[in-house]
Amino acid sequence: MRIILPAALVLAFIAAVSAGAVKIDFFSMSEMERNILFDVRLPRVVLAGLVGAALALSGVLFQYVMKNPLADSFTTGVSASSAMGAVIAIMLGLMPYIPLFALAGGIAGLYLVYRIASYRGRIQPITMLLAGIVLSTFASATISFMKFLSDDAVSSIIFWLMGGFQAATPLKDLILFAVICFSFLSVRGDYLKLDILCFDDTTASSTGVDVNRLRKKLFFAAALLTAFSVGYAGIIGFVGLIIPHILRLGNLVKASYLLPASLTGGAAFMMATDLVARTILQGGQELPVGVITSSIGGVFFLYLLIKRRKELFYFN
Amino acid sequence: MMQKPEHGRNMTETGKSRLLIKMMLAGIIICLAAFDGSSAWAYKRIVVLYPAVSPILIELGALDMIVGTTRSDHAVKDAVKVGSHLRPNIELLNALAPDLIIAGSQRAFPREMEQRVKAADILYYNPVTLDEILAKIRKIGDMLERRDRAEKLVLRLKKRLEDIRPLPAEPSVIYEVMAEPLRVAGEKSIVTSIVSAAGGRNLVKIDRKHAVISTEKVLQLRPDFYIYQVGPMNKNPVPPGERPFYKSLKAEFVKVDELEFARPGINAFDAAVNLNRIFLGAGHE
Repeated sequence: MRIILPAALVLAFIAAVSAGAVKIDFFSMSEMERNILFDVRLPRVVLAGLVGAALALSGVLFQYVMKNPLADSFTTGVSASSAMGAVIAIMLGLMPYIPLFALAGGIAGLYLVYRIASYRGRIQPITMLLAGIVLSTFASATISFMKFLSDDAVSSIIFWLMGGFQAATPLKDLILFAVICFSFLSVRGDYLKLDILCFDDTTASSTGVDVNRLRKKLFFAAALLTAFSVGYAGIIGFVGLIIPHILRLGNLVKASYLLPASLTGGAAFMMATDLVARTILQGGQELPVGVITSSIGGVFFLYLLIKRRKELFYFN
Repeated sequence: MMQKPEHGRNMTETGKSRLLIKMMLAGIIICLAAFDGSSAWAYKRIVVLYPAVSPILIELGALDMIVGTTRSDHAVKDAVKVGSHLRPNIELLNALAPDLIIAGSQRAFPREMEQRVKAADILYYNPVTLDEILAKIRKIGDMLERRDRAEKLVLRLKKRLEDIRPLPAEPSVIYEVMAEPLRVAGEKSIVTSIVSAAGGRNLVKIDRKHAVISTEKVLQLRPDFYIYQVGPMNKNPVPPGERPFYKSLKAEFVKVDELEFARPGINAFDAAVNLNRIFLGAGHE
C-alpha cells in the first residue's frame, strides 16, 4: 500500500491532466491549449484532489470521534448544514459568496451538534451521532423547502448540490490546501492517542489520553475540512466513507498509516472520478461528479459489506 | 270505429318522425358548431401553467378567460395562483373548473393529471423555434375562437423580425443559462432560434435544451459572443470576464435578461431584434 497509493495518486494526476473535453498536444501546445491547461484543467484537477483528500481525512476523523465506522460528514450533519448555507446563498442570488455561506452553515451545524452532544464539557459520541442525523434531516428538509419556494432556481440548486469542480481557481486550491495542512498538522502528533481512542473511553483515559479534548480537536478539524469542501465543490458523497474502509482492508489500521493514506487515496479517487465525470459524455458535456462517486462508491461499498464483512475493521 | 285508432297511430308516427327530424337537425347543428369551433364549444375558463403563454392570451383579448396561473406568473394579477408550474394544487385546479389547462410539458403536467382535473383539456405549449411560437399562437387562436386576433399577432411578430438587419458575418455564440455549474443553451432551446434569427449561430451542437459543459470546451469553441442571462436561473452571476478560467477568452460578454431571452413567448421576437442590434453594435466582421 505504501507504494500503491502514491503510484495511484501520480497515475490519477497524469491521467486527469492528460484527458479532458479538449485534446491537448503536450509536445507542441498552441496558445489556446496552454490556456486550457493552466487556467482550467490544472486548477480543476488540483481542486478535485484536494477535495478528495479533505473528505477522506474528515471521514476518518469523524469515525474516530464517534467510534462508529459509518460516521462521515453526512452522518454528523456538517455536510447538510454546509449545503443549507450554500442553498441560502443561491436563493438570495449571492453566488460569489456560496463558499462563505457554506462555511458559515457548516460551522453553525458544527456548533449546534457540539452543544447538543456536550454534557458537562464532555462529548457523548452516541448523542453526537443522533444530533448529526437530526441536523442532517432538518437541513435536508430546509433545502427541500427552499427548492419548493424557488421553482425557477430549483435546477441551479439541484445541480450545485450534485457537486463539481468547474469553478476551480488557483486561489481556491491554495485556501483548501492551507485548510488541509492546518487540519492534518493539528492531529499529526496524536497518532498514538487516536489508536488508543479505538478502545473504550475509560481505557483511553487511564493511559493518560484527554479523550474529551482530543474529540473536540478532531471534530473541529473534520468539520472545517467538510465545510470548505462543500463550499467549493458541493455535496460529494461516499468519499469519506469508502476511502478509509478500503484502506483498512489493506491493513492500514494504525492512525499513523491511515491518516496520510486517506489523504493520498482520497485525492487519487476524486481525481479519477472527476476525470470520468468530465469525459464520459460527448461534446464537452459533463456529469455531476457526485453522481459518479455515489454510484461507484455505493456499489463498491455494498460489495465490501456483503463479500468481505468479516474482514472489516478489527472484528476478526 | 276501426279507422280511428289507425288514424291516431298515423298521427303519432308523424309526430315521432317530426321529433326525430328535429333531433337530427339539432344534432347536425351541434356537430357543425363543434366542427367550426363556434362559441358554444370554445374554451372559456383557462388555467395557465406556463407563464410565457399569458402575454399571448392577453394579446388575443382573452385576459378575462384566465382563471388561474402559477405563482411566478405576474402578467395576470387577478387570477387565482394555483401553485408552481411543477406542482400545481389539484384541489385549486378542480375548484376553478377550467375547461382548458395550458402546461409547459408532459414532464411538468403529465397526462394522468388530466383525469384528476375533471372536464379540462390540456394543451402543451413547448415551442423551440420562433416559427413554432407562431404556430402555437394560431392554435390557441383557433381554440379560443380568436383567429383574427391570432393572425394579427402573428403578422405583427413577423413584421417585428423585419427590423433585423443583415450582418457582415455570422457571429458565433455561446449562451450561458447558469454559471455554476456551467449550463449552456443547446439546440432544443428557444435561444438557438433567437440567435439564428438575429443572424448568429449557437456553437453548442448538443441535442438538448440545456447542457452542462466543460469550460475547456468553451475556450476551444472560441465564441465571438458569450451571452450570459441574469434571472431566476442565474441570479447575480460573477461576470464571465472576471472569472479566472475565462481570462483568455476573447469573446464579447453580453448580459441579457433571462425572462426576455429564455422564455418562448412574444418576448422572443423582441429578443431576436435586440440581439441583432447587439451584434451590429459590436461591429462584428
